[in-house]
Order: sequence, then structure tokens, then C-alpha cells
Amino acid sequence: MHEFSAASQLVDLVLAEAEKRKAKRVVEVNLIIGRLSFLNPEQVKFAYEILSKDTLLEGSKLNVQEKPPLVECPKCGYKGGIEVKDDPYFHLGIPLLRCPKCGGEVKIVEGREFIVKSIKIEV
Amino acid sequence: MVKVVEAREGEALDIELDLNLQKKNLELAEANRRLLEKYGIRAIDFMGSVGSGKTSLIERLVGKLKGKYRIGVIGGDLTTTIDMEILSRHGVQVVQVNTGRECHLDANLVARALQSLPLNSLDLIFIENVGNIICPADFPLGAHRRVAVVSVIDSPYIIVKHPLTFQAVDVVALNKVDLAEIVGVNVAKLEEELKKINPKLSIVKTSCKTGLGVDQLIEVLNL
Repeated sequence: MHEFSAASQLVDLVLAEAEKRKAKRVVEVNLIIGRLSFLNPEQVKFAYEILSKDTLLEGSKLNVQEKPPLVECPKCGYKGGIEVKDDPYFHLGIPLLRCPKCGGEVKIVEGREFIVKSIKIEV
Repeated sequence: MVKVVEAREGEALDIELDLNLQKKNLELAEANRRLLEKYGIRAIDFMGSVGSGKTSLIERLVGKLKGKYRIGVIGGDLTTTIDMEILSRHGVQVVQVNTGRECHLDANLVARALQSLPLNSLDLIFIENVGNIICPADFPLGAHRRVAVVSVIDSPYIIVKHPLTFQAVDVVALNKVDLAEIVGVNVAKLEEELKKINPKLSIVKTSCKTGLGVDQLIEVLNL
């Protein structure tokens, strides 16, 4: 829902980095979005395209790598992915934040990211 | 001497950045927390859909707690000061944040709201987020606890449709339980779904009309 403001932050940040390096244009931006964040990659891409018009970023390719959740269980020591409940009612599975091994509470290690991994610029 | 390889004209360069786009909000949230702690203030962030009962629940909490704590309320809305006018009648310090278009409060807006509150003479701040059960979850504000307020009569699928929200909060108030029977909602099922999605949650059944569960909510929030 807040993809537009997220994309606007992304564009500002990449622009600043590109200008710092005296880029002529930005060719590619590689982004990581965690699956436990509320950002929909398609909507981020859509907003990015609009916001990058008339800037060094115009026409650049935005690659989004989605990061699956990684959790840790302080009780039994489990470290790994989580269970996703599939329900025919819903298009997306429901991520369950309980330990798949012992059913206890888990700590989220990965899955909430919104990170610019790298950019490709032309100088 | 360090050897420097400079890019030629027209050459493409790959640059590793690893820039965390949430960092700015998280840093501001941490700064808010430090500011609150400097003044010995506890802050609670309430999020929930429009009409879930956030304002009414805060009214109830204020009614019970204003003899014990000096309370301030920060209210987030796209526009209008309706909610904060209601709360100001209870004799607490209020400040309205109008986001205009933004669907959530962020740490920066809360930092500005904190500047306009008399922090020296407050012990407790309730933050009422913009009416939205989705976006606020992505934006920690620096509050000590985060509460999601859910109207149990809104939809039998309200929990399973918003798993990520219930994984980002500490407490869920299942509100309007007095109406559940009338509309045929199975509250136990909602509780079961919440526990499965996030076993860490404290769940409290509340009714702002009858006052049910308000004491329990106060207990869960250690207030």
C-alpha cells in the first residue's frame, strides 16, 4: 500500500549514489524485498518506472529478489524457513510464525528486508 | 601507493551498495525511544482499520489510567482532528498529525509530534495510528509496545488476511466482542488463528461499549 513512498525513497537514494559517482545514467538497480514485508514487488516496479522519468534512472531495469523468511527458535535451536499454511480461499499462503519443530515462538532473522543490493551505472 | 583503476568513458560499473531503505525510519524510531526514555515515558502504538475502535479503546484506557499517569495522545489521520478533539475532552494532552496522503505514521512524524508535547509533564503516551491494518506494521515508531485493534464483526477472515500485521505487533485487542454473537462470529476461531500465526501475541477480548477486557489490556501492557 505504501509502495509509492517506498519507491520514491528508493529513487532518491539511488540518484544520490549515482550523482556522487558522476554517472551518466543508471542501467540497473538490484533490490531485495523480504517476503514478510508489506511491499509488493510489482507495485514497487510500477511506481519506480513513473518516478524515474526525467532522471538519471529513466529506462533503468529494476530487478527484485524476494527473500524468504528465516527464523530462529530460542527454545529448540531450530534455524530455517517457516511453515506456510495453504488455504484454497487465499491466493497467497499464510506464513506461520511458530517453530515448525517444537511449535514455540520464533525470532525473525530474515524476511523483512528492503535493501538496495547493488546498482549498475554508466560513467 | 594504492592503484586506482578509473572507469573509461561510457563504461558500465557494478557498484555494491547494501543500502537498507528502512534504516532511516528505524534510526528515527530508536531516537524517539531514547527521547521517551530520557523523560521516563512509556509509549504504546495502536493500529487498526478505520472503525475498529482505536479511539474508543484509548478513551477507555485514559478513563481508567488518568489518575495514575499523566497521559498524552498522538493521533494520526489523513485529515480532520475529530479523534483528538474527542480525547482532549478527557483532559489529556493531545496532538494531531495529519499525514495528508500517507497511509501510516512514520518515526519522523512522531518525532515532530513529540516535540510539540510537554514531555516533562508526561508519563504515558498513546499513539493512535492512521486507520489502516496493513501499512503501519512496516513502520516502527519507537513505542514500547504495539497493539493491533481488530473489530471482530468486520470479517471472519480479518486475521488470516493480515498475517504480517499480527506478526509485527505484541498485543491484539479483539474488539466489539459484545456484538460477535449477534452477527454469528466465532471469536475462538479468530484467537486460534492468531496463536498459529504468532504464538508470542497477547490476545485480549474487549468491548468499548461495556468496558469488558479493558482491565486485562492494562495488565497485559504492564500499566
